[in-house]
Parts: sequence; structure tokens; C-alpha cells
Amino acid sequence: MMDEKTRDDLLKLFESKLNEAMRLYLETCTRCGVCTEACHVHASMGQVKYIAAYRAEIVRRLYKKYFKGRGKIWPSVGEARELSAMALDELYEAAYSCTGCRRCMVYCPFGIDTQMLMSIAKLLLVGAEMEPEILTLLADTSIEKGKSIDLFKESFMQGLKRLEDEVVSKWKLEAGETAIPVDVEGADLLYVALAGAHSIIPAAAIFNAAKENWTLSFFEAVNFGAFVGDPTKTKLILDRIVSEAKRLKVKEVCICECGTAYRVMKQLTGKQPFKVSSITEVHARYIREGRIKLDKTMVDGAVTYHDPCQIARNAGVIDEPRYILQHLTDDYRELTDEPRYNWCCGGGGGLVAMGEDTLDFRMKSASVKVDQVNATGATILATACENCHAQLSNLNDHYKMGVDVRFLSSMIADALIQS
Amino acid sequence: MNTLYYLILVPMVYIAFAIFIIGTTVRLINIFRTPKHPATLQVYPEKKPGWLWALHDTFLFPTVRRHKPLLWIFLMVFHICILLLILGHLELFGEIEILQFIPHEIFLGQGLVGLIASIALLYFLFRRFISPVRELSVPEDYYLLILLFLVVLFGSQMDWARRWYFYETVTVEQYREYLGSLLVLDPYLPDELTESGHSFMLVLHIFFANLFLIFFPFSQSMHSFLSLPVNKLRRG
Repeated sequence: MMDEKTRDDLLKLFESKLNEAMRLYLETCTRCGVCTEACHVHASMGQVKYIAAYRAEIVRRLYKKYFKGRGKIWPSVGEARELSAMALDELYEAAYSCTGCRRCMVYCPFGIDTQMLMSIAKLLLVGAEMEPEILTLLADTSIEKGKSIDLFKESFMQGLKRLEDEVVSKWKLEAGETAIPVDVEGADLLYVALAGAHSIIPAAAIFNAAKENWTLSFFEAVNFGAFVGDPTKTKLILDRIVSEAKRLKVKEVCICECGTAYRVMKQLTGKQPFKVSSITEVHARYIREGRIKLDKTMVDGAVTYHDPCQIARNAGVIDEPRYILQHLTDDYRELTDEPRYNWCCGGGGGLVAMGEDTLDFRMKSASVKVDQVNATGATILATACENCHAQLSNLNDHYKMGVDVRFLSSMIADALIQS
Repeated sequence: MNTLYYLILVPMVYIAFAIFIIGTTVRLINIFRTPKHPATLQVYPEKKPGWLWALHDTFLFPTVRRHKPLLWIFLMVFHICILLLILGHLELFGEIEILQFIPHEIFLGQGLVGLIASIALLYFLFRRFISPVRELSVPEDYYLLILLFLVVLFGSQMDWARRWYFYETVTVEQYREYLGSLLVLDPYLPDELTESGHSFMLVLHIFFANLFLIFFPFSQSMHSFLSLPVNKLRRG
């Protein structure tokens, strides 16, 4: 049973999400079922509960109960539902089986955004302390790091020292150049990476090769606040990077290969003195401007590219990776005729960050992705998102796909021609 | 009986229209008064100009055409029929010159529009009995379709009676007198409308139409006003 006070608090959270767009999404659905084939989970597993409109209805039933006059007079007409412990379980099931890929928006005659509706579910779960703990823990760690940067600085710098040799092995530096510059005021570009050598080494080599005046951020790009659906934490995590960029007076903030980080940074920062780019856009620019040259012989075998949902369908970086791949291989194969129809890898929305707990579901729910990749006959599966890379690697192992899952940036770094 | 007819044909019509107009307006104001979403919600690749593509999405349902072609045919036909029927009802208030561009007796389409709309409504209704739309549907979806079917059926019957069975007791003139009098707030019911063999059709048509109008602002029928703004969000 849920007590009165808890319910009121949760309903206040619900109300805080009811902006114009959300109300439009809540009011418009006609349950026509055109979205049935859109969701990779439904396509892979077949249950009705994974149809976008069904997920949306789980949230909408509560809306009909508490935010429409109808909910008091005639709740049964829309199957309005009381906010109860059971309803919270349903919200969990709906929200954490949705990766927020927004493929259903391509099918819906109105363009209803299921990810937005699931953000209500996620916020209610946070309010009820029923969200995946690991995501909140990770979000809190990020925020803590932003508050007490000096405590982390020392060990961070030492960690970077250990990476420098590897950066230099990919791109030799001239005398006086720094392999991984940090805290450079007046740099042109602030690179926001992830914790992990694979996110820093290739990127650093390419920046150095392009003679970029860059500096590495102290913070990781990933926004666990967005995964767990907590707007306050999302903002706090974002603000660390915004204030660093302002402090260093950079012209551009470049986000590493991480879909959520890029979309949140690009779309939620509002008007700022710097522009936000994905590293894929920056790399395409270097090639276009002739600042880096690539050796196609370094890539062996047919290549296909998985568009990360948050970078492509949801943020528009679609042509750039293809342009880059033209300079890496002569055997590039598309996964779909139209990138907006690309299947999600099955790892978004925090599912990969939840690790082993979601592994079984992630494997079952993404079999359509495996079929899609296999159909191309490619041996290299490139992508530009940490989450997608982790999930695609899991799929590769689980389904014995026999492909080489690669980060686009790392393919570029390996193919740099030093002249 | 006459009292009942009067109640349905006069006060209930006023009440229904009042609820429809005020309810819809208030609900729209309430929705558009809330703050905008701080970020874009569009889907890429984008096509410019966004507003034009949003109109295209709203009125031509391209995603349905691509993924459910049969449903698309019925949807297009149904919505066009609704439009023609609305025009037909406007002609019941008075002659509309431009519409006589295609010379016709009142109600365009020689009675076929109502017939096609009824068939489309039955298609939408039976579609909801089949999985997975069955699991997605809620009672209001069925109620609305049944209600609209009854409205269209009894409305069309009056048209068919005049056209196909040469029923001449009630003519367009009487409808015009009745509707015109409602419009100027001086209600008048010609005897032919309430005392002929076909009166029950008119009364039932208006009764169900009243119910539909009353329910409209609170139901998913609001998609007729919300489709464009929500499509605009997707197009950016």
C-alpha cells in the first residue's frame, strides 16, 4: 500500500514534467497501433507490453486519473489507474525496457516521443526510491567530483602521464608539444572524454595530428543523471562541463563517443559562448580541411556503421561518420536504407550501465540488431558511442557474430598517415 | 414524445455546442499555456522548412502510408469524408456558392460519402478487436467509433431516403429553417421534422451527434487539433 503523503509527493513530481510537449504527447495518442513494429524489443521478443503505445499508456493511465477531470467523473472510459505500488512496478518494467532510441517516433502518425513519456516513469521511480541504485550512485559520484575537483586532480594527472607514451606511439610529437594538454586557458577546443584509455588515446593522437589547440576536460562526458531520469542531477553533471568550458574560454566543446553525453550537451545547454560538437563531426572536419590524412590499407574487410540513436536519429550526426568511412574503406555497407530506421543496439537508456543485471534482457531484446548486422556480411562493425560499443560487443560474444566491433575514432587513429 | 424530441433538438444542441466550444478552447488554452520544452524534440535527418513538413505529416499521414497501407487508405477516405460532411452541413445553413463549382443537390457525393464513412468506421472498429490493437485500445476508443458510426448512419439515412427512395416529406428547406432558427437563437421546429415517419432518424442523428460533441473535448478526438502542433515538434 502507498500512503497519502508518498502519493502526493510522486504526483508533484509527475506534475513537474507536464510541460507543453509532454501534455501534447499525453493527450494525442489514438492507440492506432502503427508503432507496433517500431520497437526492437517487441520485434525481438514479441510481447505486446513492448509496443510503444502500450508503454506510453502505462504513464498515460496515471495522467488520466490525476490530471484530467475525466479521471474523477469517469475513470474507466480511459482505463485510468491509481498510483499504487503495482503501478510503480509497471512503470519500472516499461521504462527500463525502453532504451529511449525514439525509433517509434518515426512510425507514429503524430510523432509521440516515448522517451519523453518514459522520463515521467523514471522520475517517479527516483521519487519512490525504486530506480536502479547503480545509476544514482554513478550520477552522485559525477556530481561529487564536480564539487571537489582538487581532490581528484592529482590522481587524474598521474593517470594521464601513463597514457602519453601510447598517444605518442600513434602520432609522434614535435619538440615542445604536449601529448595530452590539460587545463589550457584559451584553448580552441575542450575535449570531454570518458574515464578509460580508449576514449582518450586515439582522440589525443588525432587532435595532435590535426594540430588542434585543444585541452582535455577533467570530467567524464557521460551523464548518468539523464540515464536515471533525474533532471536536477542531469543539470548538475552538465554544469560541471559548462563552467569548465567558460573558465578556459574555449570556442568549442567536443564530446567523445557517447550518445547521451552528446545529445544532452548539445540540446540542453542553451545559448553558450561555445559551440558543442561530437567528436565524429570534428574528425570529419579535419578530413575535409585536409588536416589529417588516412591510410585505407589499415582497414581490412567490409565495414558497416551502427548509428548511435542519440547521435544520429536524435541529434542529426548522420553524414559525418559516412564521410569519414569513405576515407577509411572502399567496402562500406549500410545497415538500413534510411538511417532513421536503424535498429537500436539495445543498450541505451542506462541498460548497459546497469551491467550484468540487464545482460540477459539486452541479449534477448536485440536479436533484430544481430540479424541486421549479419545481413550486411561486414566483418568490421564500427560505431561512435560507448554504450553501443559495449552492447554490440556483448551481442558479438553472445550470438557469435564474428565481427570486430570498433570505435570510429580508434579506426581513424590507427589509419593516421604521419608525413 | 414531442417533449423528448424538443429537448434533443433544441436545448441539448445548445448545451452540446457550448460544451464542445468552451471545453475545446479551455483545454487548448491550458495545454498551450504550459511552458515549452527547453530542448528540441525533433527527429533527424531534418527537412526544411519544418512547418511545411509538419503540415504534410498532419494531413497526409505518411508514416501510416508506409507501414500500414490498408489502414492509410481507410484513414484518408474517412477524414476526407468527414470534411465533406462538415461542408454539407454548412450548406444546410445556406447556399455556398463556391461549392456549386461542382453542381450538386445538398450533400456532396450523392449519398456515397456517408456510406463510405460508415464502412471506414466499421473497419476501424473491427480492427480494434484484433491483437495487438485490441490490447492497446481502451473503452473510449470503442465508444467514439460506435458513437460516430451511429451519427453517420442515421444522418446518412436521411440523405439516402431523399435521394435513393424518393422520400419527399422532409426536404432541405425544413432543415434550413430549423438550423437557421437555432443559429439566431430563436428555435423553431417545422412539423415535418418532428411528426413525419422519418423524424426518429433526425432525432437519433442529432442525439448521438450531441453526445459526440459533449465528449469531444475530453477524449482522444482532440487529436484533430493537436496533431499539427505535436507533428511540429518532431519536425523541429
